[in-house]
Amino acid sequence: MNDSMKHVDEMTCLLYVERQLDRGRAQEVSLHTQSCAECRTLLRALERESRLLTRAMLEEEEALPARLAEFHERARRSLQWIWGAAFGLAAMALYALYTGYIEPWQQQFEQAGFGGSSLLSLLIFQGAFWKGWQSMFSFIEILAVVTLAGFVAVFLRKRLRGSSAVAMVLASLCAVLALAAPASAATEFRKGESTEIAKGEVIKGDIFLSGARVRIDGTVEGDVFAFCQSLEVNGHVTGDVIVFAKNARINGQVDGNVRSFTNTITIGGTVGKNALSFGENISVDSSGKIAGSLTSFSESLGIDGKIGRDVLAFFGRANIAGAVAGAMKAKGEVLTISAGAQVDGPIHFDGERPPEVSPQAKLASPVEFKQMEHERRRESSAGFIVWKVIWTAAVLLFGLVLFSLMPKFAQESVASAEQYGAALGLGILVFFGVFIASLIACVTIVGLPLGIASLALWCTVVFSAQIVVGTLAGQWILGRSSELGPLLGRMAMGLVIVRVAVLALGHVSVIGFLFHAGILIWGVGAISLALYRRLQPVIAPNVPSASMGTPIPPNTTVGGVQPA
Amino acid sequence: MSAPGKTEPTQAIARARAGDAEAWGELYREFAPAIFRFCRRALPTREDAEDATMEIFMKLRDKLGQYDQTRSFTAWLYKVAANHCWDMLRRRKIRQDKETEDVDSVPLEHPDPSQLDRLIEQRTSEEVRRALDKLGARARMALAMRYYSDMSYDEIAEALGVRRAFVGVVLLRARHELRQAMGERGALAAGGAP
Repeated sequence: MNDSMKHVDEMTCLLYVERQLDRGRAQEVSLHTQSCAECRTLLRALERESRLLTRAMLEEEEALPARLAEFHERARRSLQWIWGAAFGLAAMALYALYTGYIEPWQQQFEQAGFGGSSLLSLLIFQGAFWKGWQSMFSFIEILAVVTLAGFVAVFLRKRLRGSSAVAMVLASLCAVLALAAPASAATEFRKGESTEIAKGEVIKGDIFLSGARVRIDGTVEGDVFAFCQSLEVNGHVTGDVIVFAKNARINGQVDGNVRSFTNTITIGGTVGKNALSFGENISVDSSGKIAGSLTSFSESLGIDGKIGRDVLAFFGRANIAGAVAGAMKAKGEVLTISAGAQVDGPIHFDGERPPEVSPQAKLASPVEFKQMEHERRRESSAGFIVWKVIWTAAVLLFGLVLFSLMPKFAQESVASAEQYGAALGLGILVFFGVFIASLIACVTIVGLPLGIASLALWCTVVFSAQIVVGTLAGQWILGRSSELGPLLGRMAMGLVIVRVAVLALGHVSVIGFLFHAGILIWGVGAISLALYRRLQPVIAPNVPSASMGTPIPPNTTVGGVQPA
Repeated sequence: MSAPGKTEPTQAIARARAGDAEAWGELYREFAPAIFRFCRRALPTREDAEDATMEIFMKLRDKLGQYDQTRSFTAWLYKVAANHCWDMLRRRKIRQDKETEDVDSVPLEHPDPSQLDRLIEQRTSEEVRRALDKLGARARMALAMRYYSDMSYDEIAEALGVRRAFVGVVLLRARHELRQAMGERGALAAGGAP
């Protein structure tokens, strides 16, 4: 033991060999090694190790790769150009999406009386809905906001310091809430199996009503927010009516707007401003009158009453037998304009077959009919191909962002996709289950914010599904890789193959559909599986692991694993 | 510090600095194999090494005007290469894998010299290279800087962003990792195969 205490430690020996010791210490080591054979052996071993390392490193066992034989600046630049093009295409896709879909919709919504507010702000942050949130005081809504904030924080954490990201998200939330807050005023809440505002009763201010059956026979001098199975308005509402219900019927007078998310809504009374409806069946009775415009998204639409301004409608089938003072823009399968109908503005109809127009109908101009393009015909056009290329570039870019932001999770998702049974099974569950649950959350009292957040998450996962499957396909072809660069290459290659296959098989209707659905479900399942595993508790550290090999004693250099 | 087997091509450097593309081509052809091998030792895959070599030379060409001609060109070249490789690893977070466990657990006690001697004697260069692939990013990077490009402790400290006094610890720890990797290989070779 005494001997070993006198030995020079390995660190000092290494520094001696590397000529990093000061003169005095080096002399001490030198003197010691003259009399200590063991330390001398150690010095010699360390020197030999240095030589072995240098030799191993300097040996030219690999030729310079052909692509490095000359300085290829152009190749590098061209790669940058490709990424530039991909970004450009993605930007084009976004612009086309905006100008093609969002902007026209926005204009229509503005026409429908929503002013300058965007759909998002209308649905989530506008003052009227903020009051709705207050009415529920539900933990779920808060959770939804926190979840959204969490997503933003996770997204930003790579770009900003943690504290900055949190501060930014909190500041944004505060700003949003501060903007929304002034909307609250004197507000009343009523709950119950059957909730009623009796005839002769006057409510001054806004009111929130919930229950199985809600009935308004009296007067509300403010807005009405109803969350129920059935709503009946027979009285007078001076503000807006916003309703989430299975069935709604407006027989009385609403001076403001009607905005409904219902299975069936019937307007038999008077609406002073505009109506916006999402539902299966929407009808304006012959006694019904909407002073402003009607915007509807439904399976079945019937207009027997009067519309003061324009109609924007998306439907399965529609029957117009009433009067429309403005223009009409419609998209759907079947449009019938009956004998009693009167439309004072132009009518545009995009449909599968020409509208059935009664000769007795009074129309300002003939219906401008546009046959909805059949899928097959579009597929052969150059524009369709260009769109597909643009979308592929957009998905590619999205994949690049995802892989860069969450490389480990992306790899786990790709690995999960190889468990075909589990991924497909879970995929079916999540693909249908989460979608349906989100819709239910949107239209019921559970909460619109939670529904929208879930739906957004679902859409993101579905959109990412093909990236996961594409990466796996790329790995099948080019082999596995855990590095980010090669993985991105595999993702790009596989994604292009998957999208080409989807496009090619799309011509064979059933097989193409099944293939596409299978890809999406598989990918969704893989992502869900990876997510599920992430959420599992970590195994306790004292649980023995099968992968642990023979440990090497910490203070030995060679350990007990010397070859025989 | 001297680059492995290279002399300073002073004239070519001067011409390349003046914008002579041919001179730059000469420099590239002369140094690209060495830089590629350095990247091959420092980075985990061949593809990474190829990409890094290309990027390093693009960087070198842009920075050639900043090169101080009174100092060694090869030293400057390896410094740029080391910084680039280390940045690349940092960006990918690969090097974090081992960093936390490196620092405090370095055994400084006296090893068994004869056992170490035997281990080194039995290993070939190829086995060492294979074992290098198993090391953590910092260990491999440190060994490549020291034993391939012969960088000084000061230069290694600067490249890795550690104190100079800590470089010896990093190198010793790297050697320990390497011995362990070589020992495992030896054990497998000796008794692993049926």
